[in-house]
Amino acid sequence: MIELIDVHKSYTKDKETIKGVSFEVHEGEIFGLLGPNGAGKTTLMQMIATLMKPTSGQILIDGLSADKNLLDIHRKIGFLTNEIKLDPMSTPNALFEFFAKLYDIPDSELRDRRDESFARFGISPFADKRFKELSTGMKQKISIAISLIHNPPVIIFDEPTNGLDILTSKQVTDYLKELRTKGHAIILSTHIFSVAEELCDNIAMLIDGSIVAQGTVDELIALAKVNTFEEAFFNIYVAHHKE
Amino acid sequence: MNKIFTVFKWEISKLFSSWRRTFTLFLLPAIFLVGMLNLFPILINYMSTGSLNKQPVTCVDAPDTFRNYVENTVDATAFKYEYITFDEFKEMSADKESYRKQLRKGMLVCLFFSGDFEHTFDDEVRAYYDELSKENTEAESSAIIFLAYDGGSFTANTRIEQFKESVLKDYQSSLVDTLGGGFTPIGSSLFQVDVFNPVTKFADHRTVANNTAGRVVAGVLMILMYYTTYSLVSDMFASERERGFMAKLIMTPVPRKQIYMGKILAITSIVSFTSLLTLGLLFLSSWLNRSNDAMSLLPFGMFLTPSELLIVLLTIPITVLLMTAVCVSTVFSLKNMEDITVNLQLPLIYFLGDFFLQLFRGTRPTTLEYFIPVHNSMELISETFMAQDKLWHVLFVYLLNIGIAIAVFAHTFKKEENK
Repeated sequence: MIELIDVHKSYTKDKETIKGVSFEVHEGEIFGLLGPNGAGKTTLMQMIATLMKPTSGQILIDGLSADKNLLDIHRKIGFLTNEIKLDPMSTPNALFEFFAKLYDIPDSELRDRRDESFARFGISPFADKRFKELSTGMKQKISIAISLIHNPPVIIFDEPTNGLDILTSKQVTDYLKELRTKGHAIILSTHIFSVAEELCDNIAMLIDGSIVAQGTVDELIALAKVNTFEEAFFNIYVAHHKE
Repeated sequence: MNKIFTVFKWEISKLFSSWRRTFTLFLLPAIFLVGMLNLFPILINYMSTGSLNKQPVTCVDAPDTFRNYVENTVDATAFKYEYITFDEFKEMSADKESYRKQLRKGMLVCLFFSGDFEHTFDDEVRAYYDELSKENTEAESSAIIFLAYDGGSFTANTRIEQFKESVLKDYQSSLVDTLGGGFTPIGSSLFQVDVFNPVTKFADHRTVANNTAGRVVAGVLMILMYYTTYSLVSDMFASERERGFMAKLIMTPVPRKQIYMGKILAITSIVSFTSLLTLGLLFLSSWLNRSNDAMSLLPFGMFLTPSELLIVLLTIPITVLLMTAVCVSTVFSLKNMEDITVNLQLPLIYFLGDFFLQLFRGTRPTTLEYFIPVHNSMELISETFMAQDKLWHVLFVYLLNIGIAIAVFAHTFKKEENK
């Protein structure tokens, strides 16, 4: 579903931010991208989301390349980052309606999708409130609802539970699990071990722009010859990080 | 294509989502600028005289003809008058220090003197016309009008010039009708203008008002247009990118160009509407300003013919489009929000400078100035108010500004898509 082939990205001539990354994410799989701050996770996620072009290499979404099929890819992916701040004077209803129009969702379907989505995250009582009146968690849930308005088969989550309280975090992780069972291919970046450990079927460790290890949680623990996933990450990090 | 209008409607609805936002964007800058234009002359008056009140013209031994003239003449009502006798004036000016102080505060003195203290000013003028009617070509009059004012004061100089031009000159001409008796000079006026007809009044004042407006209105519109454009570009492009909302928009299956064009259309429409509102307020302010005071920046009678109005109305959106192109290009070429804000504000200094240059320059723009984008729009509006617009100026400015705007947009979007 998602395929990265030898992807490189340089912002300046003398420094490479992403150095030849390759991996695949299949249907019904949650793929985790784990790495410290500055490792290149957000750059990689933005390239997968077509917000940025790789300097070289290829990114395919359901076999399609962004160079030729950009808008088709946009219909297939949902991208969510915790950095999104919504216009304080807008309301969830107005925003949902606006994005439904951009995604060509007919009016007849709009109400059903909205009701279902808002009910799942408990947004309905706040549907006509301005964003400035809502809590951070509620705004994040509305962001998720809007990102997935078109029911995309590929979902890209950049630090999905950052800044959320434990209750909202639980709702989000439960929802991701549900999406996996429905066959969505999900790629998420995180630096929270518990999230990666609980959710991801496959984890790639990104350090200094390169994937230094990849596998399931158990495989990574075995690779590092330690007892916990956290220890495994630190061992691998120390072995590969260059000052 | 319909997605452009979806984005356009969304941006417009955002602006109307709160009355504070609507007021801040649509009315506040316009009211502020119009207010400033009305306050500016008062400020200049205060700076040069130290008083907020406008001093009346102190008329010493004013003859009946003068009193009647100022009561019945529109131009003369731009001034207030205080009448005193020569003895009162002598008493007032006895203390020279106090007298000079009053002059420095903006007092204008107009002293009517017949040449001796035996008979009045009117009698002296009447006697002079009598002599002329008897074909005495060597007749002379010793009647004289003295003016006293503080020559070092900008305000006093301006006011005395206007007093001489619009009151005394016409008063002198009127004396032949009131005191001329049998003497009839060739070419004297055969009829009087109906000063109570508002249309005639506008026409009467239009040239003076439009010449002043030509120096002021164009600059005011440019400052307002740029201020509103940069605020909106900052909000719709820079802030949305900073907040991550732009990424969400361009992740939709709508071509980026359509999203940007929807926003650009919204900015151009809103700024054009705000500018038209301001233009309306400037006209209203002019028409409510019943005086034609020399210091007024919006004198009574500002008026444009339909074709002139059309030129101004078309110049506004074209200029806004160009301003938007420049602002959007700035936003896309910088990453840091603070850098964007500083770079977007810099042209405001240029527009302020251009405004003051326009206000005080006494020469017509050179041909080269029509090649300077945005500045050429200001010159075009200015010359339209002064009824000096030429078709080739209009077409050249429109085509040049639209061409540059399209080129800047094309370059910016191409660069953005290749990132």
